Amino acid sequence: MPLSLILALAGGLVLFAAVMARVLGRRAGWPIAAGMGALAAAVAARAPGSGAVTETVSWIPTIDVALRLRLDGLSFLFALLVLIIGALVMVYSSAYTSSKGAVGFYTLMTAFAASMLLLVLADDLIVLFVAWEFTTLCSYLLILRSNRKAGPPATRTLLLTAGGGLCLLGAVALVSNRTGTTELTAALNHEAWAQDPGFAAAAAILVAVAAMTKSAQFPFHSWLPDAMVAPAPVSAYLHAAAMVKAGIFLLMLFAPAASHSPVWPVMLIGFGLITAVMGALFALQRTDLKELLAYSTVSQLGLLMAVIGVGTPDAMLAASVHVVAHALFKSAGFMHVGFLEKRLGTRDIRELSGLWRSRPWDAVMIVLAAASMAGIPPALGFVSKELVFDSMLLLPAGSALGWTVALIASAGAVLTVAYSARMVVTTLPGPAMRPNEGVRTGAMSLAISLAAVTGTGIGLTVWLLDDLLAPAAAVSAGVGAGEIYGLSLWHGFNAPLALSAAAVAGGLLITVRRTAVDRLLVGRSLFPSDGTTLVQASQDGIIRGGRRVGDLTRTDSPAAHLAVPAVLIAIAGAGLPLLWPGWGTANVEAPDVPLFIMVAAGVIAVIVARARLAAIISVGVAGFAVAIWFFVLGASDVALTQLLVEILTVVIMVLVLRRLGREFTPTPRARRVGAGIAAAVAGVTAFFATLAFTGHRGLSPVGEYFLREAENDTGGTNVVNTILVDFRALDTLGELVVLAIAALAINSLLVARRPVSGPAPSLLRTPLADPASNAVFLRVLDRFLVPLMLIGSAYALLRGHNDPGGGFIAALIGASALALAYLSASSDENRRLNRPYRAIAGAGIIVAVGCGLLGLLDDSFLRPLHFDVLGVHITTALIFDLGVYLAVFGVILAALNLLGTRQGAQETAEGLPAPEETPVTVAAPVAPAAAGRGHDDGHSTEEARS
Amino acid sequence: MILALTIAVLVAGAVYLVLQKDFFRVVLGFVLLSHAVNLLLFSAGGIDRRGEPLGSGPDPAVTADALPQAFVLTAIVIAFAITIYLIVLAVTGRPDTDGDAAAGAAGTEQDTDDEEARR
Repeated sequence: MPLSLILALAGGLVLFAAVMARVLGRRAGWPIAAGMGALAAAVAARAPGSGAVTETVSWIPTIDVALRLRLDGLSFLFALLVLIIGALVMVYSSAYTSSKGAVGFYTLMTAFAASMLLLVLADDLIVLFVAWEFTTLCSYLLILRSNRKAGPPATRTLLLTAGGGLCLLGAVALVSNRTGTTELTAALNHEAWAQDPGFAAAAAILVAVAAMTKSAQFPFHSWLPDAMVAPAPVSAYLHAAAMVKAGIFLLMLFAPAASHSPVWPVMLIGFGLITAVMGALFALQRTDLKELLAYSTVSQLGLLMAVIGVGTPDAMLAASVHVVAHALFKSAGFMHVGFLEKRLGTRDIRELSGLWRSRPWDAVMIVLAAASMAGIPPALGFVSKELVFDSMLLLPAGSALGWTVALIASAGAVLTVAYSARMVVTTLPGPAMRPNEGVRTGAMSLAISLAAVTGTGIGLTVWLLDDLLAPAAAVSAGVGAGEIYGLSLWHGFNAPLALSAAAVAGGLLITVRRTAVDRLLVGRSLFPSDGTTLVQASQDGIIRGGRRVGDLTRTDSPAAHLAVPAVLIAIAGAGLPLLWPGWGTANVEAPDVPLFIMVAAGVIAVIVARARLAAIISVGVAGFAVAIWFFVLGASDVALTQLLVEILTVVIMVLVLRRLGREFTPTPRARRVGAGIAAAVAGVTAFFATLAFTGHRGLSPVGEYFLREAENDTGGTNVVNTILVDFRALDTLGELVVLAIAALAINSLLVARRPVSGPAPSLLRTPLADPASNAVFLRVLDRFLVPLMLIGSAYALLRGHNDPGGGFIAALIGASALALAYLSASSDENRRLNRPYRAIAGAGIIVAVGCGLLGLLDDSFLRPLHFDVLGVHITTALIFDLGVYLAVFGVILAALNLLGTRQGAQETAEGLPAPEETPVTVAAPVAPAAAGRGHDDGHSTEEARS
Repeated sequence: MILALTIAVLVAGAVYLVLQKDFFRVVLGFVLLSHAVNLLLFSAGGIDRRGEPLGSGPDPAVTADALPQAFVLTAIVIAFAITIYLIVLAVTGRPDTDGDAAAGAAGTEQDTDDEEARR
């Protein structure tokens, strides 16, 4: 089976797990375990021996990133570990977890396993990094979902491990840049590692730090005990095979290359030994079994890191054996603690007792696991510890240093024996405890027993592991498989055995004198501050720092934000003289001057206006002048659009006037002066910038193409419209989406924050100003005008392709008709405006996208199709324009609806059916009516939900 | 030249208005700014040729560039939608229970700002 298929199946297992957990609840653990077992068999069938199996699936060819996979001795070992321990944990989970939340649990656990599998099989730096981050995220989510209090520890875990991820990213970038390839094997075999000490040191440090965070090494150790809020199966997997082993894998992977740098062994052995002793000491302090085991992992991984730092083939063999031994005894340990907690409701060694009486079988199992952890023969842990001591004594740097290292390691081993024994002697003897009712422990015991018995049994037959471990050690030591010695349980009487014996003796002594030791250690903090506090403090510090930086720009005054671009542009204007190309052609024509005067008059009037109404009218004046400008410049379509928009803008602004005071809030004098200066500078800059940057060249080639070819290409003679609906329809589609979003945004804003209600307009108090009787003329006129405008709207839509008109303009005309009907209505509660504006705007997008999909019939999204029906030329561009129509119509309708009526569209029920109801039947826009209605259903369900 | 002057006046008015205290004035400033930018787009297309890009076979020598026109047409509508959005922002934010209605009406924008900050 190809490696890529195995990976794909591992991904498929995630989906399978989700489905199974939904159907079977917690019992899904069984089929998932079977799936993992099958995957392990598939991997085993590809056993690479001392060679390697490689495979490449193209991924991002342009930057030479591929899903390169490689199964060699090292990845084979870890892949099996991930899958087999995974299967054990799954079996265990089928009894441990609750069916509630089983879907999330099993999905994440299988995703965790799949990420680990990808990580160990990756033969590409990028893939390696991605898989590394996947494991980080999976463990974060698994910790996070475990219980309600898990938030802070999960975040601290993420903070540390993701920080390590950044180091790995740095290493990946550095290595791929220096070696010129992202292919892992090639990059690791590159000569730069040997020839460029600076590069080798930098890469070695980055890789080591990444691995240290992942494997919870000092000074990043705090997350692992912190993460024990996770349930037992998660902890078992995290500690035994998945998360922390990823760090060890990375070290073993990079060791042949990184050990070219002298920094590598110093760093690994130094921090590894510190962690080994410190972790063991902390473990001895704990009374919570789970915490004890967590610190034990910290300590054991420290030992592993130190021995990887030694780097000889012997050392790598020791590391490989210890990885397996640790996976077995640590998974058994964590599962056992979970079992105790589930069955007896506590995991504190001061409360536990009598396991020997109540569950002799499980008691034997934990004794086996603890023996392996302590390194008592014949367990596998004994074999690995012998090898570790042996390789340390033969340290290439010299025997004096070797002895020092081995003695420190054996000090850690003394403590290890002590805490392993403590785990046993405090829980086994004594009276049996009353178990909780209804806890099924069969599957749990099975999984624990498998791990524990294997861990011991395989020690007796350790030569069976030769084929598995020798190739792994060879890969990580960078030598041929022939240079690795075979494994055996008994090496004769030698120095490592003496160290082992001393460690056991010392550990047992501590155990015998444990009350005295407890008095010395338990509850006493050995460091001035513990890691968790430090991480939490740094996290809080980062957030505080971010807030402080944000404060620099945090103000609720719009002007403070709006002034920034104005000032920046004005400053940029100072550079204009450097770019000045001359005055250009003096393209002035007769109508320009009066138009300028009109605009200027409008602008000045807005600025000096105190009353809101006056300002709105003045803005309208400027807007109309601009519309005429457009007309003069040969853009009748644009001028029409501007004209209609101007009308509607004034209408909508007037709608909100009643909610605001009649006059503007005065601005302080100093600010007015400042604004005046900024305005003057901005105006001058704009003037010279316009002259400098525009009008110095003729018709653009693309503009000329449109003018010449629009009719041939599209059959339309209104070039602007053909650009909108044919040539650049994708742009227009994007704009439609913006419009529809604006409609939604207006809606949500007004739902979320109710509009202010201003003063009752005093106008209403005089009979002359009574809007009901005042509007009577308009109302009469309206009966004829509104239908006429709607017909005009439809006409503008239909002719848009060839003459001024089109969807935008047509929709604005239609909306103006509605606005007119609204203004002339006798009361606020005007039902005719109560149209499903959201559905209309949405229908616009659906119509436009649907029309675009039609274009796929002719090979391209949004390409218009052309037909001749009965001699009339028809193009799907018209349908697209209909989409434009609907979207524009929808947004204006939303505004009228929500701002015009008292409480938006919600409180319209009380309004009397007004006499103006008649035109309303037509008021549904002629063409879009069908589409709008088609979405009524969707709309009403949406209403019901909200 | 005159077009550049028009743009300059619009920009100056817009900058003045957006720096005012009353949010409704900021909205008006935004409207003026959109006019200025639209005219600038026209200016970029060249304003020597002012013929309508309509009908069969327009003469590129005298016809205006249709591309900026198409840009401006959609820009107008989008600016309109944004204007509506800004108008809605101008009328939301102060709760209805703001006691004295007159005070609410004359209420400074600062009130609004404080309330937003408190939320």
